Amino acid sequence: MNRSISWMKYMALAAVLVMVLSGCGTAGGSTNGAAQASGGDQAGQAEGGNLTFALATSPDTLDPHRSGLAVTVRAIRTIYDNLVVQLPDGSIKPWLATEWSVSEDGKSYTFKLREGVKFHDGTPFNAEAVKYNLDRVIDPATKAANSLALIRPYSSSEVIDEYTIKVNLESPSQAFLGNLSQALLGIVSPTAAQKYGDQLGKNPVGTGPYTFVKWDENADIVVAKNKDYNWGPETVENKAAPHVDTITFKIVPEEATRIGSVQSSQVLAAETVPPQNVAALKNDPNQQLLQANTVGLPYTLFFNLRKAPWDDVKIRQAVQSAVDVESIVKTLYLGNYERAWSALSPGILGYNASLEGSINPDINKANQLLDEQGWVKGADGIRAKDGQKLTLRYVDGSPNREKRNDIAAIIQQQLKQVGIAVEVEITKDIATVIYQNWDYDLYGNSQVNSDPNALYAFYHTSAEGERPTLSGLSDPKIDELLEQGAVETDPDKRVEIYNQIQQYLIEQAVILPIYVFPYTVAASKKVEGIKFDSLGYPLFNDVRIQP
Amino acid sequence: MVQTILSRLATSLLVIFGASVLVYCIMYLLPGDPVLLMLDPSSATPEMIENLRAQLGLDQPFYIQFANYFGDMLRGDFGKSMINSDPVLPKILEHFPATLALTALSSIIAITIGITLGVLSAIHRNGVIDFVARLVGLFGISMPTFWTGILLILLFSVQLGWFPAMGSDGFSSLVLPAATLGLVGAGFIVRMVRNSMLEVINEPFIVALRAKGLSERAIMYGHALRNALIPAVTVIGMLIGDLLAGTVVVETVFSRQGIGRIIADALMAKNLPVVQGVVFFTSIIYVVLNLLVDISYSYIDPRVRRAVRT
Repeated sequence: MNRSISWMKYMALAAVLVMVLSGCGTAGGSTNGAAQASGGDQAGQAEGGNLTFALATSPDTLDPHRSGLAVTVRAIRTIYDNLVVQLPDGSIKPWLATEWSVSEDGKSYTFKLREGVKFHDGTPFNAEAVKYNLDRVIDPATKAANSLALIRPYSSSEVIDEYTIKVNLESPSQAFLGNLSQALLGIVSPTAAQKYGDQLGKNPVGTGPYTFVKWDENADIVVAKNKDYNWGPETVENKAAPHVDTITFKIVPEEATRIGSVQSSQVLAAETVPPQNVAALKNDPNQQLLQANTVGLPYTLFFNLRKAPWDDVKIRQAVQSAVDVESIVKTLYLGNYERAWSALSPGILGYNASLEGSINPDINKANQLLDEQGWVKGADGIRAKDGQKLTLRYVDGSPNREKRNDIAAIIQQQLKQVGIAVEVEITKDIATVIYQNWDYDLYGNSQVNSDPNALYAFYHTSAEGERPTLSGLSDPKIDELLEQGAVETDPDKRVEIYNQIQQYLIEQAVILPIYVFPYTVAASKKVEGIKFDSLGYPLFNDVRIQP
Repeated sequence: MVQTILSRLATSLLVIFGASVLVYCIMYLLPGDPVLLMLDPSSATPEMIENLRAQLGLDQPFYIQFANYFGDMLRGDFGKSMINSDPVLPKILEHFPATLALTALSSIIAITIGITLGVLSAIHRNGVIDFVARLVGLFGISMPTFWTGILLILLFSVQLGWFPAMGSDGFSSLVLPAATLGLVGAGFIVRMVRNSMLEVINEPFIVALRAKGLSERAIMYGHALRNALIPAVTVIGMLIGDLLAGTVVVETVFSRQGIGRIIADALMAKNLPVVQGVVFFTSIIYVVLNLLVDISYSYIDPRVRRAVRT
């Protein structure tokens, strides 16, 4: 008797506990609902509201010149503007610069600047401000990261008058103007940069459509509408102040949580949807899936040509024939990622579409090439030559970003069929293994970029003392083409040059291009007007939240 | 008693110092160059790398680096983050409360569920309750935290919409992460309490009490549980330490702010000053917990108190 009574007490206690807990849950839920419902009143004309947008990783800094991460661009695009903007067709249009001219030798650009633009802190935007920005990027004290590579070969600038600036380069560059459109070369307020120094990244001030409000580390970044804004670029419809009052970028690294928080309406939008969730989201009546392919270098596996036997084109071609890229991409990404065919991704100037469909898996050819080169299959099914086993060291940076570890595993299986042993090493320490010790045979990388000149850093013979390239390729013919491509002013000739380079890289099997990364956003159907720029980064100028 | 606590405090300082030295050495010996991790490897020039290394003092010999670091720390200066130049101490102080709240609530959940189920399952040995309690224990111990967390999100956030899936705003966002961690802890405590209860129940003094005609309830809760709690308290003390460590995973899954996430990020980036700072603070917590466990023994078990006095 005694026992059963105490039993019931515990049950009652548990029931009360559940009720209390669920009670506070409901309270929390309704607060969220209220926050989202504050929109405008007419359909299509909704004004105001707070867009909550879940980011997959945390930005490193909101100082564009010092950032090295793509995720930063999603946030800083709202805070900063650039001198020029690049349209999806590759053409360059005005933004903070209204017009420009290039000198005959291609080494200096004269920009006319837009008048009446003010930074969020009230500092006027003028030629002095632009000069300060460009000089800031190359100043070693700034500790500039990716922006430094983008600004090269910048040497100096001269202020002609309040709204005219002349920018000088060390050598002509066809990539320079396009690079000026990239968010990492956004224009920061000189007053703020001087005031905050290396803390500008926590106190960002630009001329963009949104002003910085706060950044709680690992939680969220909040920006608010810049009411004075009226200089939006051609890539957006709304050139004036944004429709929404604020954007809250929530940082949600775990993908299940990120997608879960869109489905539970805790956030209105979330980036990088895992392929396995895509189908479910497409069928969800309350959700929409937005997608933009990123531009630049697709995810590509680079052979390390410095190491034998991978310096032998026939061995590389054998691997090229043995790997079935199509089935890898279909298996892992369920038809949501496009397969890459070239060293460049589609949509970039000079992309060689004729390479599509050019390389197809052919096990017989792979075996034949390996036989020809004297690699004979042993009892264990692995080929050997002069007592040396044919082993490929495949290095990948963990964790399994975009299932890249799984690519390694499938390639390991596929190459086993032709007698190549693959040792997969997953390491976080890419800096040491890849860039310091060069201890790999195959390593994958991708890059977001708007200009085919991006190839230079990966395939041009590296100069003495400079960091060697991932491929280790050194071919005078390619060097010359890459140098020409950087300076050629005739677009048709440029396209021809880059076509040749891509053709060579595939024919010589220097690389195995795998997939083109689509930037995906899952959003509530209440959200309208999220657009993407030419690189695949989201733009929030036109966003409206329907009530 | 006071003397014991004082001597314990002295050893505690040694432990904290030892932990700091150890972590410093491990971080120093780990492969990987923080400077290369800070700069983008595809665009940084060797000159930039050298400049940054000199600026951070990383070109100095190990002992000088360590002496500098430790000297600064004694003056209350924990240095600046290598990634964004944020001072370390304010950052830790800002994020510590969130982690403490998470650890505290998950401990409460773990202890409540753990002791309740543990006692019930021992009393009703081999019955339905015992079966359920052992299942809960097994589940708590064997499920990876991140998986339990995702399950809870799918059920209580996506399906039922009761609790937010992520964030650190208010109590409702604390419930799911605390339950995730609490379940793990509860699993350990259930097994521990059940086993020690079963041992105690069969001891002669219980038989003696029964013979004296004490009610079963008074015997179980007044005498058996009290004796069974001693080993459980040790486990609980260690467990709270484990829960603190578990916040690394849970804070990431639920996108909460807290030192767990700070140290995870800092470790990946080899951000030495931040790792050191967090280790310093967590070692203080561990030491305090151990002290509390020791003190609580003497309150639960008079024999320990007497032993201390002599």
